[in-house]
Amino acid sequence: MEQRSEIIQVQDLRKSYGSLSAVDGVSFSVGAGEVFGILGPNGAGKTTTVEILEGMRAPDSGTAVVNGIDVQKDPRAVKKIIGIQLQSSAFFDRLNLAEILDVMASLYHRKIDPITLLREVELDDRADALFKELSGGQKQRFSVASTLVNDPIILFLDEPTTGLDPQARRHMWELVQRFKSEGRTVLMTTHYMEEAEELCDRVAIMDHGKIVAMDRPAALVDALLSKGFQKERTEKLANLEDVFLDLTGRALRDGQALDDAC
Amino acid sequence: MRIWFRDRQAIFWTFFLPLVLISVFGLLDFGSFNTVNLGIIDRAENDASRKLISDVRALNTFDISDELSEDEEREALLDGDRHLVLIIEPGFGETESPVNRRVSVVYNQGRAQESAAGQTIIQHVLDEMTFAEGDFTERFSIDASPADSRNLKFIDFLMPGVVAMSIMQMGLFSVAFSFVQLKSRGVLRRLQATPILPASFIFAQVFTRLTVSILQTLVLVGLAVLVFGVHLEGNLGFMLLLALLGGGVFVSMGFAVSGWAKTEDVAAPVANAIALPMMFLSGVFFPRGAMPGPLRAVADFLPLSYLADALRNVAVDGASLWSQWENVLGLVVWLAVTFFIAVRLFRWE
Repeated sequence: MEQRSEIIQVQDLRKSYGSLSAVDGVSFSVGAGEVFGILGPNGAGKTTTVEILEGMRAPDSGTAVVNGIDVQKDPRAVKKIIGIQLQSSAFFDRLNLAEILDVMASLYHRKIDPITLLREVELDDRADALFKELSGGQKQRFSVASTLVNDPIILFLDEPTTGLDPQARRHMWELVQRFKSEGRTVLMTTHYMEEAEELCDRVAIMDHGKIVAMDRPAALVDALLSKGFQKERTEKLANLEDVFLDLTGRALRDGQALDDAC
Repeated sequence: MRIWFRDRQAIFWTFFLPLVLISVFGLLDFGSFNTVNLGIIDRAENDASRKLISDVRALNTFDISDELSEDEEREALLDGDRHLVLIIEPGFGETESPVNRRVSVVYNQGRAQESAAGQTIIQHVLDEMTFAEGDFTERFSIDASPADSRNLKFIDFLMPGVVAMSIMQMGLFSVAFSFVQLKSRGVLRRLQATPILPASFIFAQVFTRLTVSILQTLVLVGLAVLVFGVHLEGNLGFMLLLALLGGGVFVSMGFAVSGWAKTEDVAAPVANAIALPMMFLSGVFFPRGAMPGPLRAVADFLPLSYLADALRNVAVDGASLWSQWENVLGLVVWLAVTFFIAVRLFRWE
C-alpha cells in the first residue's frame, strides 16, 4: 500500500469554532486506490477534516493537497475530480432521480446516462421516482450515485451506512469494494468498526480533533493484543448480526421500507 | 445551465392568483356609473350663453369644467375624462345669428349612458329657455357629434398594478421560499460540493425568475386585453423591459430575505412584512393620491410604486420608456441596494 503514489496529503490541519478545536493538527496521507477510513466518536472532527479536504470549509492553518492540487488555492479544481457524499443529502424536490442526475452532471458540464448510473446502485427501476419517495437505504444509494456523475477519481463518503439496516449496509459495502476495484480512491468516515475492518486498507482513529492511531486495521488489532489486551468474553464465531442476516436474508428490503414509510 | 421548471404549484399560483385578482376586480367594475363629466366652452359669451351655463350649473348633476380651452377639452374627451363637451358658438341666442338656436355637443361614444343622460338634461335646460321666451316655434336644439374616446375603466388602472404586484410576489416569495428551503434542507450544501460557482447558480435562479416574470406579464396583459377589453396604449416591449427591471429588484430582495432567514418559518413572515405594506401603499389597487401626506411621501419611494407607476404610464397613457426615467432610476437604485444586500447575506448553509 505504502509504495503507491499519495493522492491526498494533509499537513497539520487546524480548524476551531470559537474556543472548540474541531481539528487540532491533523496530518495523514492516502495512497491512490486506497480505501482510507477515518473513525472516531461523534464530535471527534471527522466530518470537519473531510469537509476541508473537499474544499467546502477553509482550515485555520495547515495544507491539504488532493491529486497535486492545493485545496485552499483551487477548491473548484478539486471538486471537479472528487465525488462527495454528504452525511445528509437533499436534492431538488420536483425532479425525479434521472433528472436530478442529469442536472448534477450538467453542473460538471458533463452528459451522462442516468439509467446506467442508477443501475450501478440498483435503482434503475426507480428512475422516475422522487427522492423523497425513497427509503433510507435507497436515499443513501442514490446519494452515492449522485457522487459518480463526474466519474471522480476520489470518493468522499461521510458515514455512508449510518441508519441503514444490515442488508442495505452490506450492499453499500459491496459498492465501496467495487469503487476500489475500479481504481478509485475512497475516503470514508464511519462509526462502525466492523465496517472499517471489512472495507478499509488503513484507518485513522480520531478523538478530540487529533489522530490517535493510524494503520491497517489488522495491525492496530495486533498492536493492541501485543500490549496484553484480552477481551473479557471470548468471541463467538458468529454474532447477532450474523443471526439477523441468517434469519432475514441478505436481499435488499427497499420495497418493505417504502411501504413502511408510506 | 439547467433550469428546473418543475414547481407546478408555484407556477399555478404565480399566474393564477393575479388572474383571480384581476378577474374579481374586473367583474366588480368599480367605475360603472358616476356623475356626468361636462366640459363647457363658451364662445358666445353673451347673456344667453351665461344664462344657459348658470342653469346647467344649477342642476348639480354635472361635474363641470369650463376653465379649459377647446383643444384641452377635446383632448380630455378623447382621454375619457369627459362624457360630453358643450360648445356654445358665437351668436347663440342673438336674433340676427344663423346659429342662434343651436348648441354643439361632442359626446363620448363609449359612455352612451352618461352622455345620453347629459344630452337629455341639456336639451331640457334649452327647452326651459324656449318656454321662458314663450316662442315655441323656434326651439333651441343640440347638434350632437360623437367622439371616439379612449375610456379608462377601473380595470385599465388596475391591470398594470396587478402586473407590478405579481412581479413582486413572484420575485420576493418564490425566491425567498424556494431558496430558504434549498438551504435549510441541505440542497445548497450538496451543490456546494460540486464545482458550480455561487454566481452562476444565482444567475441561473435569477434568469429562471425573470423568464417567469416576462411570461407572467404577457399572460396578464394578454388576458386583460382579450377578456376584459383593457385598453393597451403603450408599447408592450417597454412593459416587458420594466417587468425585467422590476423582477430584478424583487428577486434580489428575495435573495436578501433568504440569505438572512434560516428557515421557511422565518422567511414567510419577513417576506410578508415586506410585501403586504407595499401592496397597499404602492397604489396597486387604488391611486396613492388619496393617502395622507406623510404616508404618501414614504409610499412614493417604494420600489413597487416606481414599477406600478411606470407600467401604468406606459400601458395606459402610451408613455415611452424614456419619459419614465424617474421611475426607472428609482428601480435601478433599488436594484443596486437590494443586490448589494443580497450578495452580502448570501450563505450556502
